[in-house]
Amino acid sequence: MIMSNPVNDSPPVESVLWDDWHPVAELAPLQRTGILHTMLFGVPLTVTLAADGAVAVSRHGAGLPDRRLEHVDCRYGLIWASLGTPTRDIIDFPETRESDRIVCTGGSVGVAVSGLRAVENFLDLGHLAFVHAGYLGEEPYTEICTYKVEPLPEGGILATGCRVYQPRPSPMDSQGFDVDYVYAVRRPYIVALLKANPVEKERMDMIALLAQPVTEERCVAHVLMAYPPHNVDSASLRWFQQLIFGQDRPILENQIPKRLPLDPRAEISIRADNSSAHYRRWLASIGVRYGAVPIGAS
Amino acid sequence: MNRWFPVSACGEVAPNSVAHTQLLGQELVLWRAASGMLNAWENRCPHRGVRLSLGNCIGEELRCQYHAWRFATGSGQCTHIPSHPGQKPASTMRPMVFPVFEDGAFAWVNLTPDAAMPVSAAEGPGLNLRSIFTVAAVATVRQLLLQGYAERAVNLVDEFTLEGAAGPPLGIRFMLQPVTQGQTIVHARLRGAIDAAQRLPLLRTHNARMTAVRDRAEALSAC
Repeated sequence: MIMSNPVNDSPPVESVLWDDWHPVAELAPLQRTGILHTMLFGVPLTVTLAADGAVAVSRHGAGLPDRRLEHVDCRYGLIWASLGTPTRDIIDFPETRESDRIVCTGGSVGVAVSGLRAVENFLDLGHLAFVHAGYLGEEPYTEICTYKVEPLPEGGILATGCRVYQPRPSPMDSQGFDVDYVYAVRRPYIVALLKANPVEKERMDMIALLAQPVTEERCVAHVLMAYPPHNVDSASLRWFQQLIFGQDRPILENQIPKRLPLDPRAEISIRADNSSAHYRRWLASIGVRYGAVPIGAS
Repeated sequence: MNRWFPVSACGEVAPNSVAHTQLLGQELVLWRAASGMLNAWENRCPHRGVRLSLGNCIGEELRCQYHAWRFATGSGQCTHIPSHPGQKPASTMRPMVFPVFEDGAFAWVNLTPDAAMPVSAAEGPGLNLRSIFTVAAVATVRQLLLQGYAERAVNLVDEFTLEGAAGPPLGIRFMLQPVTQGQTIVHARLRGAIDAAQRLPLLRTHNARMTAVRDRAEALSAC
């Protein structure tokens, strides 16, 4: 992969990614330390929080003077930045604007795999009964029924009609039930999951995975949650998410290759992988290469 | 390369167990079915690329840790996909399977998928030493062993095999497993009849010597 070009500073990464907003840090740990070092598209970044609450992100380049990024923001408890020139706003999560919801981050975890693999794993239904046995699934309820996947008008994919039996769908539930799932991928590295709330049938719990592309083969998985306020608190939501993600991580770090193959012949897909197949096709159609094995490259 | 390489001592992968190794840069899952058949497959599930060495052996099948697809001993054919339990998996659903041969002392793998089985006799009495992993190229280890082992001459049998005397009447054979370009596993076996009482002291003595071989090979590679 071509890294940042120090001569003319031209985008080393396709514009659809370079010119978009990406999460680069969680606010809470930054409030304790005041400074965090991270990386986005292989570019080293320093994130600082001043006493007056001002956030700054500086990039450090090969032989270039450090430069403050122009496009930096704080939203949903996360610090966002763009290395390029954003053509659209930070992704909107409408659920976070409902004032009675508990909105919290779930922790940020470094994973030695492409962020695209992490997003795909988040979309995956077939592993729930095995990787998350006793929580998000269990044998013998392993069958994945046909669900619908369609393109979103503004780009991305929407998977609806996913239903799985879960013995413990959230930290609040002491008994299992059939859970309805909706997945929306509206950015290549971001996926939101809406799952049926056990109390309010009309509202859904929202859990989003926001993968920060550190390099092509490494990401930081940030989690954002917005739950209707029934017997929940942010500490147990965070605990539960970290438990679940801790089960996914060793799987993710043992995928070969670490980048997501976009060629449909590279890995065998089945009907249960409908959302994964659509996701890969969509990434290829909008020209995403960073973190992927593009079609024809292998 | 159509050639057989040792990848493990026979007893090392017991029935119902799963192990990992690498040969010429190819990652392998080694697993032995309950009935005793040893398998060497590409260490990657054909579905979503997860290392099969994370999986479990369930009787005559290896089960992937991610979606619990099951693959049959021998053919590697997928037999069960829990997401669609009523459907018969397609014949293309299998990892790459490599030929395996056991001579009674070591398990040998050939990375040429349709390689013919070797027609060598079963290994006679002897004692496998502990296999030594070293961060050194095959050429370095070979060169070092050719300088002698325990002050006795060592001769080249072929590019990856060396033999010498190990205190008459015993002989010693070294077999080199090229892991990656700069990594080698040295398998070794004392050949001849050995009393039960002699086994532990012999293992101790040779373990110290083999460790010294490794340290020298790594020192040579570092400079």
